[in-house]
This record gives sequence, C-alpha cells and structure tokens, in this order.
Amino acid sequence: MRKVAMFAAGLAFAAVPAVTLVAHHAFGGEFDPNKPVLLKGKMIKLEWVNPHAWLHIEIPKADGQQACQFTPNMKCEEWMVEGGTPNTLLRRGITKESLQAGTELVIDGYQARDHSLNRANGRNITYPDGRKLFLGSSGTGAPTDGADPTEAPKGRGRGGR
Amino acid sequence: MRRTMLAAVCASIAASVVVGAQMKNAGIPRTPDGHPDLTGVYDLAVLTPLERPNGMPAVLSDEEAARLERENVDRNRALDKAIDGNRSAPPKGGDGSVGPAGNVGGYNNFWLDRGTQYAIVDGQRRTSIVIDPPDGKVPPLTQDARQRQASRFAQARPTSDQTESNDPGLEPAGAYDDPERRPLGERCLLGFGSTSGPPVLPNYFYNNLHQIVQTPTHVMILTEMVHDARVVRMNGKHVPSSMRFWMGDSIGYWEGDTLVVDTTNFTDKTRFRGSTPDLHVVERFTRVDAKTLKYRFTIDDPKTWAKPWTGEYTWPATTERLYEYACHEGNYAMGNILRGARLREKQSTDRQK
Repeated sequence: MRKVAMFAAGLAFAAVPAVTLVAHHAFGGEFDPNKPVLLKGKMIKLEWVNPHAWLHIEIPKADGQQACQFTPNMKCEEWMVEGGTPNTLLRRGITKESLQAGTELVIDGYQARDHSLNRANGRNITYPDGRKLFLGSSGTGAPTDGADPTEAPKGRGRGGR
Repeated sequence: MRRTMLAAVCASIAASVVVGAQMKNAGIPRTPDGHPDLTGVYDLAVLTPLERPNGMPAVLSDEEAARLERENVDRNRALDKAIDGNRSAPPKGGDGSVGPAGNVGGYNNFWLDRGTQYAIVDGQRRTSIVIDPPDGKVPPLTQDARQRQASRFAQARPTSDQTESNDPGLEPAGAYDDPERRPLGERCLLGFGSTSGPPVLPNYFYNNLHQIVQTPTHVMILTEMVHDARVVRMNGKHVPSSMRFWMGDSIGYWEGDTLVVDTTNFTDKTRFRGSTPDLHVVERFTRVDAKTLKYRFTIDDPKTWAKPWTGEYTWPATTERLYEYACHEGNYAMGNILRGARLREKQSTDRQK
C-alpha cells in the first residue's frame, strides 16, 4: 500500500510540472494577475492559428465602440481570448467550422498587462451551462487512448513486445 | 574497369551484410537498398518522463502501468467535466499557478495532448527516458556549467524595473527587455523544450508528431513544433567548425540495421539543458517492428556534464496527420508580452519623476 502511494506521489510529481512548467510562452508576462475578467458574449470570429488560437467575442455594452453583430440595436465591445494550438483539435476532427459565429460563451481569465488591449487568456472557455467547449485530450477523443481496457493497444505501448 | 570490379565486390559485400541483417530482423519494412525503412509519422507523446520521479522503480509491472495510465485518463476526464456556468472571475492577485502559467493559469485541458501510456522498451514499461546513469536522472551540471548559467542569468537581467520581481506572475527583472531574451520556442524559432532536438524529446504538452523521410543519401526528420526540418547527410563529413546550426550538423551512417546520427556544430542559442556549442549528440534509430522505432541518444559535453549520459524510448507510428505549425502567423503573445513590459517601464519612470 505504501508502495502504491509512493508511485502515486511519484506520478503526480511527474505530471504536474509537465502541465504548469512547460508551455509555449510566459503567460505571466502577457496577462495581469491583478486584472481578472469574466467575459460573457457571443463569438464573432475564430482565428484558428498557431501558436495559439484566438476567439473574438462581442459583449453588449452601453458605451461599446461597434454595433453588435448578434444582439440587435445594441453596441458591443470586442474581446480577444487566447486558447491553445489548433493542431491537436484538428486531429480530433474539430475544425474552424466546428464553432459557429454567434455561439454564446462564458470565459474566465486575466486581461493583458497592457490594459488598453481587450485581450485575455481563456483560462476556462465554456458554454453558458458550464460545459467545456471541446472534448478533452484523452479518455474521450482519441481512438485508442487507454480509456477502454478491452481495446487493443494501437499506438504507444507496443514497442518491442 | 578496375573501378567497376571494385564496386561490384563492394556491392556484393554490402549485399551479404544486408542479407545477414535481414535474417536477424526479417519482419520489418526495408528500402530497395536493403536498409530498414524508417519512413513514417510518429507520435512521441508519452507518460514516461525524461527523469525518473523519486520513489519509482525503473520498470513498472503491467498492472502498475495500467493503473497509473487509468489514473491519467481519470484526471483528464475530471478536467473535461463541466464547471459552473455562473462562475465569477478568477481571484484578484492571480490563481497561484506556477511556471509559464505565471499566476494567471494557462488554458483549458482540451487543447492538450500529453500522451496516455508509458513507453515500452525491450518489453519493459519504463519510468524514465534516461537509462544511464542507472538512477534515471540527468547527471548534475559541472561547476563550469553552473557558473555559465549564473552569469547568463545575471547578464540577462541588468536593466529593468526591480519592482517586476515583486510580481509573482513575472520572471525576474529584465526578462522581457527585448524579444531576444525570450526563449526560442516563444519566438517561434524552435519547439519549446527539446522537441526539435537533437536529442528529440517529448514536450509533454502537445504536437509531439515527427515525420521521417528517408532516401539513400539523406534522412529528414520533420518536427511539428515549430515545423523544423533536420536533414541528416548520409555517410557525410561534418562541416567546418566555423559553421554552426541551431539543431547542429547531423551526419548519418548505418551500423547493421541501426541508423546512427552524429550531431555537432551547435550554436550557443539552443543550449540543451545548459550545454555548450561543443555538445555532441549521437542518436540511434532502430526499427523494432513494422510500427515502432526505438530511439536512443547519448549526450556528451564535458564542459556541462562530467561524463556522457544516455536515454532511450520508443517512437510509435501513428496514422494521424502532422500539420503545419506556422507559428509566426498568430504569435500575438510576443507582442502582448513586450507591450506589457514597455508599460511597466513607463510606470516605473513615471514613479521616479
């Protein structure tokens, strides 16, 4: 049992830094921890680009600079939200067309350090009911991901056996 | 005429060597010249870390590996679950995330593709890529290497506002002074970590696909992150030491059924784990079956590590496609980071007035 716990601790040690220490760029340099934002709006454009996808949303606001595309007779403010690489999603069959303009989204994150920019990181991007935007990286999307023990191993795990 | 005969003799020796090799490992695809065919797209995503975590054995039993892999799936499933749609903004002052997630968090788990299984090498489910030293850890840096790192750190931070250091989301003062102080990955020049290599390592994040294209004279290794192609010249000689490359100068030769790639002539830009431009990497690609390569590398740089060290893991073939990365196309992040830094500088100057 103690051995098992030790393995678990070892794995957590292995997995956690991989999530938090390795990323494409310094999020802390880009976004301001003292400017948390909650954005509720409708997607107007999806930039399906690397290194990070950017979702453009419009938020109805009395002093908005532009006419809303999806809320009639209202002014809107446009925000850009940073996501991850589109390549992994493409491999799961998710394309630029998978998310329609006009889709209502709720995003929490932090605003860019330059506050003149309406830009934030998409710390969590969900639908209004809290569902995540896309399916996850494993256990759901990949054809043989180890989630189903009866499934024959196809990719990683075969080597030399 | 003599030359023709010599060529014929050489060809017949080569053919007998190849026949011998074929008998040794008959079930693998081969190119018309008899060498193992390494062509293909490989997905290097894997749970096995470079260094063995403390307290773990070198090899997992099938049951232990299955349990840990299952736990990994469960963790991902938990991260995929819906959250409160009526949530409020994250806490002011940051969410406590460390590293590049810099106290502001990164982004949703659904963007990531970290790997789901441990590497199986020679029938063993491994807990580290490093195999020599046998403790599975990268050897400690030499005194010389530690001094180089310290001086680089000092040199990289001479100018900026010291108040930057007080913000937990930021790297030390000066780190954002100009784009050339940012890592090559952030500048869209090479994949972060050692994704491009050599040595080629998983980045434990996403886009771990690599494509090998093989001809009798060249072998090309294409890395999805950041779309870097390394061209290995077969049976060539290294270019003069005055010629330097970010991924080094790679030459290759066959040792039986193993492709050996020898790389030198690095620059001071890539610095694999603190290495010098004298870094010498020897990689060995062996096809273990129709869909798997074994990849072994040995690192030698006496100014950085007291003796060479070695790692190995498998490269499983994938039917997935490798996509263009085109990193500069949308690298708004770099602009945002530098704009933030200029703003802080201005605020600092204003305060001093």
